[in-house]
Amino acid sequence: MKSLISALVLAGLLAGCADTATVASIEDRAVPSKDAAKPSATSTTSATTAPGAATTAADAAKPAGKPTSIVETRPMVEPDTKVASLGASQGVAIGPDGKPLAAAGQAGTAGPGAAPVLDPKNPASPLAQRVLRFEYDSAAIRDEYRALLEAHAQYLKQEKATKTILQGHADERGSREYNLALGQRRAESVYKALSLLGVADAQMEAVSFGEEKPVAEGHDEEAWQQNRRVEIVYEGE
Amino acid sequence: MMHRLLLVVLLALASPLCMAAMTIEIVGGALNRVPVAILPFSLSAPGATDPAVVVSGDLGRSGYFRLVDSQGVVSPASPQGLSLPTWKSRGADAVLMGQALPAANGRIEVRFWLFDAVRQSQLAALSYTTTPAGLRGVAHRIADVVHEKLLGEPGSYSGRIAYILKRPGRYELQVADADSENAITVASSPEPLISPAWSPDGSKLAYVSFEDKKPVVYVQHLADGGRRAVARFRGSNSAPAWFPDGRRLAVTLSKDETSQIYFMNPDTGELTRFSRGGALDTEPVFSPNGRWMYFTSDRGGSPQIYRAELPGGQVSRVTFEGGYNVSPALSPDGNNLAFVHRRNGKFQIAVMDLNTRQMQVLTDTALDESPSFTSNGRMILYATLVNGRGVLATVSVDGAVRQRLSQSGDLREPVWGP
Repeated sequence: MKSLISALVLAGLLAGCADTATVASIEDRAVPSKDAAKPSATSTTSATTAPGAATTAADAAKPAGKPTSIVETRPMVEPDTKVASLGASQGVAIGPDGKPLAAAGQAGTAGPGAAPVLDPKNPASPLAQRVLRFEYDSAAIRDEYRALLEAHAQYLKQEKATKTILQGHADERGSREYNLALGQRRAESVYKALSLLGVADAQMEAVSFGEEKPVAEGHDEEAWQQNRRVEIVYEGE
Repeated sequence: MMHRLLLVVLLALASPLCMAAMTIEIVGGALNRVPVAILPFSLSAPGATDPAVVVSGDLGRSGYFRLVDSQGVVSPASPQGLSLPTWKSRGADAVLMGQALPAANGRIEVRFWLFDAVRQSQLAALSYTTTPAGLRGVAHRIADVVHEKLLGEPGSYSGRIAYILKRPGRYELQVADADSENAITVASSPEPLISPAWSPDGSKLAYVSFEDKKPVVYVQHLADGGRRAVARFRGSNSAPAWFPDGRRLAVTLSKDETSQIYFMNPDTGELTRFSRGGALDTEPVFSPNGRWMYFTSDRGGSPQIYRAELPGGQVSRVTFEGGYNVSPALSPDGNNLAFVHRRNGKFQIAVMDLNTRQMQVLTDTALDESPSFTSNGRMILYATLVNGRGVLATVSVDGAVRQRLSQSGDLREPVWGP
């Protein structure tokens, strides 16, 4: 019994210790790679920050003006072992140079100088309504979204240069890849609805984020309902 | 009823500097554990850490072994100095002893001997030469040898795993040893990274990145970190799986209609459409002999696992029990299929014997995902959600031994490396 208690105490100590050591060691390793990719879009850009700014900063720093990826990679140097090439040394950080990786093309800010009623940037506009929610394992559009879809269709038909990305999402249950496909089907269902309302294919793209971008972080039906959705996003946003 | 006992064993792993990335708890175990004494190695090589610590960690948490106390004992200078009757009287069926000796150019020679204490015979004697950085790898190899000699089937302690670590505002693709030590972040992004897939030779990882505000399939070479988008078509690009020959990939694309499976050569860009029809097809994975492709489809009205005989042949349904079976994974011998099965609203890991088509649910958690087999085919690695946080876990194919690996981060989508 005594040894069990001491084992638990030891384990507790180690767990605490492991936590801090892990954080520290990962941060330590991240430093050189950030330096190599300087100025790092990754370190300063959070997931919600507009990527346009980061891309510009990175591009300005690059002599060739090549697009820079927001993703950092790191080589895995195998140890010099005769019997096993397992594990890896701490590795030298390298920048993400060398490979042409297009940073999200956020260019064409084709100004929608449209009528004030149909302005996606105006919170009072019907176009401020961007989210359609779905039932579990379903891609059927509910009747309540008819007006929302008609407003966006009307706007897109007026503004032929404007493009929209229909982003499908799923709740967290089940497999990530199946949820990606499910979100894709939801996005395609909105795509078809807008297409039937006369929007040109060239103005739309249906993509999916699966369960990766929840708006509600909970693990219950209330959160799941909010996360099963399609968001209508205009290019440049 | 062993797992009812909830044997929680927390092992102090690895170096004294608390570099252990994860602690491991065993939530179940085999009924008959083999008692084995692992003596601290005699260390005469400067800077060598004791391989016995790593071997003890590997075997102790496997659920198949019971460690006989050998604290304070040091391996004798030679096997002749070992008293097997003494260890037998202490309850050990087997004894491991070893040495770490200095070798040329700063390298280290590790020698070990494994004895059967009951029959008083030698089971193994081997020597490895490595660098200090390779010492842990050697220790995992030793654990593999001990496992195989004592249980008659290969161990899987010297493997590698890849998984996604979710940090606040950042996603990291990491590669680590099977005991989750030596974790290296090979790619890191503010946007989600999902679906890592090892190339059969272990030199590359394919994965899906959302850095372009949509899912795009990338292939990354682990040796230099170089990466390339191999599928960036209109719509979504996802679910990469390597053909067994490592030359082609199966991917799920939505460029033509809803999510469908395509075969592609990432070097030439050559693309062949595999599936057709309005149903959703995804999560392709190949049997090791390349004869079958298993995948998830909702063509029957609910997501189920199907398989197609290659090339491009007949499709037949594999799973029938329950309304949700996804994420197929094949054992190395191709005889077992692991997948995620929904039962009473819970998503759990199940395994099917493909010869008898018998299915067994192996876990009792609610949000399990991403099963993959260890290299010996005896365990299934997967991720589950505990207290709202993703953790990695393994379960033996018979459901008897379960382990949970926990780290301070939020972990997902582990995949066992070749």
